[in-house]
Amino acid sequence: MSSHLFCDGVRRRDFLKLGAAGAGLTLPAFMRQEAFGRVDSQSKATSAIFVQLAGGPSHIDTFDLKPDAPDTHRGQFKPISTNVAGIEISEHLPKLARCADKFAVLRGVSHTLAAHDLGTKYLNTGNRPLPSLEFPGYGAVIMKELAGDPELPHFVAIPSTPQSGGYLGPAFGPLRTGSTPKIGQRFNLRGLDLENGITLEDVRKRQNLLARFDTAFADVGKNDQLIAGLDEFNQRAFAMLTSEKAREAFDLERESPSINDMFGDDGFSASCLLATRLVEAGVRFVTVSLGGWDTHADNFTQLKNKLLPPLDAGLSGLFSALAAKGLLESTAVFVTGEFGRTPKINQRSDEGGRDHYPRAMFCILGGGGMRGGQVIGASDELAAGPKADAITPDDVAASFYKSLGIDVSKEYQTSSGRPVMIVRHGTPLRQLWA
Amino acid sequence: MVARFVLGLLVAIGLLQTDALAVDATSPISARFAGSDARPSYQKHVLPLMSKVGCSGRACHGSFQGQGGFRLSLFGYDFKQDFEALLGGDEPRVNLKSPHDSLILRKPTMQEEHGGEKLFDVGSWQYNILARWIETGAKDDSADNPAIDRLEIQPTELMFKKPGETMQLRVLAHWADGAVEDVTDLTRFRTNDESVAKVDEKTGVVRAEGAGDTHIVAFYDNGVAPVAALLPVGKQAGPDYPKVAAPTKVDELIVAKLRKLGIVPSELCTDEEFLRRASLDIGGTLPSPAEIRVFKADTSSDKRTKKIDELLARPTYVAWWTTVLCDITGNNTNQLEIAGKYHEQEWSRIWYDWIYRRVAENVPYDEMMAGLVLAVSRRPEQSYEDYCAEMTSYVRSEKPADFTGNDTLPQFWGRRNMQKPEEKALVFSYTFLGVRLQCAECHKHPFDQWTQQDFQSFQAFFTGVAYKRQDRRDPVVAQMMRAVGVEPDEGKANGNNPGRRLAQAARDGKTVPFPELIARLDAVPGTKAYKELKSVKGGSRVITPKVLGGEEVVLASYADPREPLMNWMRSADNPYFARAWVNRVWQKYFGVGIIEPADDLNLANPPSNAELLNYLTQGFVASGYDMKWLHRTIATSDAYQRSRKPNATNEPDRRNFSHAMLRRLPAEVAMDALSSATAGAAELAQFHGDVKSRYIGLKTTQGGDGRGQRLYSLGIFGRPDRITTCDCERSNDPTLLQSLYLYNDAEMYKLINAGGWITDLARVERSKDFPTLVAFTRKRLAEYEKAGDNVRAEKTRAELVKMEAVRELNVADRDGLIEELYLRTVSRLPTADERARALQEVNASESTSEGMRQMLWVLLNTKEFILNH
Repeated sequence: MSSHLFCDGVRRRDFLKLGAAGAGLTLPAFMRQEAFGRVDSQSKATSAIFVQLAGGPSHIDTFDLKPDAPDTHRGQFKPISTNVAGIEISEHLPKLARCADKFAVLRGVSHTLAAHDLGTKYLNTGNRPLPSLEFPGYGAVIMKELAGDPELPHFVAIPSTPQSGGYLGPAFGPLRTGSTPKIGQRFNLRGLDLENGITLEDVRKRQNLLARFDTAFADVGKNDQLIAGLDEFNQRAFAMLTSEKAREAFDLERESPSINDMFGDDGFSASCLLATRLVEAGVRFVTVSLGGWDTHADNFTQLKNKLLPPLDAGLSGLFSALAAKGLLESTAVFVTGEFGRTPKINQRSDEGGRDHYPRAMFCILGGGGMRGGQVIGASDELAAGPKADAITPDDVAASFYKSLGIDVSKEYQTSSGRPVMIVRHGTPLRQLWA
Repeated sequence: MVARFVLGLLVAIGLLQTDALAVDATSPISARFAGSDARPSYQKHVLPLMSKVGCSGRACHGSFQGQGGFRLSLFGYDFKQDFEALLGGDEPRVNLKSPHDSLILRKPTMQEEHGGEKLFDVGSWQYNILARWIETGAKDDSADNPAIDRLEIQPTELMFKKPGETMQLRVLAHWADGAVEDVTDLTRFRTNDESVAKVDEKTGVVRAEGAGDTHIVAFYDNGVAPVAALLPVGKQAGPDYPKVAAPTKVDELIVAKLRKLGIVPSELCTDEEFLRRASLDIGGTLPSPAEIRVFKADTSSDKRTKKIDELLARPTYVAWWTTVLCDITGNNTNQLEIAGKYHEQEWSRIWYDWIYRRVAENVPYDEMMAGLVLAVSRRPEQSYEDYCAEMTSYVRSEKPADFTGNDTLPQFWGRRNMQKPEEKALVFSYTFLGVRLQCAECHKHPFDQWTQQDFQSFQAFFTGVAYKRQDRRDPVVAQMMRAVGVEPDEGKANGNNPGRRLAQAARDGKTVPFPELIARLDAVPGTKAYKELKSVKGGSRVITPKVLGGEEVVLASYADPREPLMNWMRSADNPYFARAWVNRVWQKYFGVGIIEPADDLNLANPPSNAELLNYLTQGFVASGYDMKWLHRTIATSDAYQRSRKPNATNEPDRRNFSHAMLRRLPAEVAMDALSSATAGAAELAQFHGDVKSRYIGLKTTQGGDGRGQRLYSLGIFGRPDRITTCDCERSNDPTLLQSLYLYNDAEMYKLINAGGWITDLARVERSKDFPTLVAFTRKRLAEYEKAGDNVRAEKTRAELVKMEAVRELNVADRDGLIEELYLRTVSRLPTADERARALQEVNASESTSEGMRQMLWVLLNTKEFILNH
């Protein structure tokens, strides 16, 4: 589940790189993390969940159906109405249709990068990839901008994510769980349990000792991202170990049956449930992922049988559980793939498939004070491009950040001293707050 | 207008040959086409212009579905397709009857609605190029045009003095027929590092931004050319540069570059630092405490060089570099069923052993790689039955035959992720050439010279190479199956798995059928490539194979299509084969390649020090592809032996090797380091000799622990799965999970607490009179031997061996133990201060062993332990 091989042979894995190209000078701002002050009253979210649909989900078969399009494009699926008048989505997403008031569907989102790797980078950073610069993922920026609970990881990936610290350095990278949880079962995050007769007292004593003996690179200090990263992770490991919070949050056994019932019994559902628990405990940013959307062949069978049922169960569960826990207002949810798929059906297999198509795709934003139950933007009659003005991934990113009170025009310095804005070209979508 | 048309007509029908370029092709295009007389060429001007102004970009008409019903090839190098797009279709973009009404003129000038906005004015030189081309008949001249020979950039190097300074680039295209043309105005530019220099994409003006060095890359037609841009770091550049010793050629070349940049390299590192670094890089192993003491005490001046030779002679060198070679060649248990299902574990082990033997014997690199490239499974004179008997002998459980004597390793071609010809081409170019061809599979490579045609021509070498499954209808195969009790037409059902039964029969030593690797000139029957080939009548789809950037190959003159490929790789002027390996090895020693990423050799990604890479590559080839020559040449340089401590000039440097860079230990090395640091005395003594049980050894083969499991610890420390064609699959970055592992994982406690050094200490400490205990055990052994109780005697003997090793431990000598602790973990003696503080800590503990347990945990959690420095 954690690895999907795409048509271009690229397996989704972290493209963690130590900083940017060039020199390694200043950095670690996690030391001077900014206090949690808000300037934007519209920003309600204090946490976020990012749902990665790796492979590029077909927009025209899910959230942007074109029932009147010709046979060559339309596809097999019919639209159904939702609990919001006038909004229709695919018949294979019935549970999501019942909670469409909780999220906004963005249609006609558009970009130009048709390779998995590049598209993924774009949608996971809000910045069009550059050869000379590795942009930080959303989780890294959120970790940097929003002070977190020191006893918890700030950025958890279930089980993995392409988002990295980018030019901010590995200290801002995710904690990858590496595996997928199961509903009703304790999720054992290795290294988090105190065993072998180790007491909290022992752990504290050791940390003190370590501080006194781990001094060899004191002169390098924070100028080196590798050193800064190792220090940061050590601090975090200590804080997590000495706290009950993290252990409790990861323990799905402690979830109430009424919440469990909102989900399906697949791994993606369990991941979504864990994400809500982590956010509930105070984790700032969680990614979950559902892969396999690269449907070049047998598009409809794959969607119908393999992909849409878990998406429907997991994502509807996520929104419902957040609402039930009273967390929807304070949790921004962002669902996206790296691109859409060609509206014209190809002939690679008997029933046909759809290929990479960045010019039209969908995204979902919900929670965090963003108004749900609406469609923003539109694609043209063939879902082949934006109908009028395109929504760019940069705009979606800017909106997502806005819900969290992050000013995207803020500039960071890369390790080579280059100033870079958090999102270089995006404007928040006003409709989300209208 | 009429005159123009007539002229165009004359040109078109070949009555009049005007070539305005010949007049003064070295003046700028914008000047030459400012008027309306010059005659443009489709290949040389029209398509490059459309690329330059962005028409064929991915955002516009280069998109795979086109834009507004008009599609151009991405990055514009498919002359035929683009020509058809311009002149064909329902709504041709070119209007021959009324040239100025052509859409390609009206849209970019916004005389007509254009989604891509206004790109140039009516009457501009851009306009004139397109207009004149249409007026002269809009011909595709690409077939008659000579190929581009090279791009020349002036100046040849951009040496800046201060930030903000600008310089103009000029680009000259040299065509194969000798024609030279200034194409600056039609060239696309890119900088490889905006923090050093920026380039104006329209004009080619470069502006210095910050200290350091990078390249500006120019793209025109099929040509890609980089030019270095440098801005010195300090005032000491050039003539003012201090005297820096450069004892080797490698150092000379590095210092020459540093001098230009005004970067002064760091001092040499200490002996302890050197020994740790070299032991880790050459042999993936920490030096033993005893070795460190001896090395420190050695006063000979050439002791570092001698140590490098010694390290290169050890099995640890063989094991670690075999692992590196298994990474690059893709040895993964889960990918090998094609070479014979249910024997994946055996194939993986065979793969490892085969490479291991060659590294151990220092077989020339080209010869070893030829064993993969030209691999055969069944020898020509061998019958299929004999072949199967031979394969069975390698996989049988009892005393399997030694495969390593075979000249070749066919299992390489059995990787599941290289079954289709295009997959083979991608894996092949990644593994042996360090070239990423992926882009060219679908379109012109954006950063290199490769076109889709190049990719297809290269792929053509591989259509005839494939593993062929045994045909169960073949009487020979059927008989072999029946002989071991499997019916050929038996299907998988109700828990019956004939494949598994066959595999078991082979393990029991009974001959069963095996698939075989076929290499023929067209395509292997039964494969998709074969069906495609046969479905086309008249062979119109047959593509002539062509080596990358080289000549077409007439396969008919070879028995095996891979032969000309290997010849090309071995040819003296091959730009990739030897370089790719040299650069990868360098990258392992310095943490950064001379070309970085190390597996991305492309024209737009030039080496940071071309002279250095050339020197090493030529030397490597001249040495007869002697891998040890390469290791020795790199490791004996001052550059490799520099301190990690930077000075005022070199701290930001990450690409010119002016100081050592901190690197996290690779996954297998880290796990082995944990094992050796915690090992009992007896185990530690054997650590450098016994590589079988080491993570850098066979254990690293994917699932090579014999159960097909992926080890958690190796996974979180970034061991590659060996599936993708990217060196980046191995990650040496730190993560929170790694910290949690070192801090509190059950495995860590087991290493520290169960049966290792601390256990030894505790044991000695507990038994007040250890010598008496030893004497007593000896006595017991004598009694067992006398009584003929071999089982107990054997056990007791092993116990005694352990005791003998422990005997040396003097628990009372806490100071000595602390020294040992530092040597085991960070490979140096403690400073006076560390010594005193550690002693204080141990003295305050309830027992010496408890205190040492605590301190061992602490040292294993320091950055100094987990980093190579």
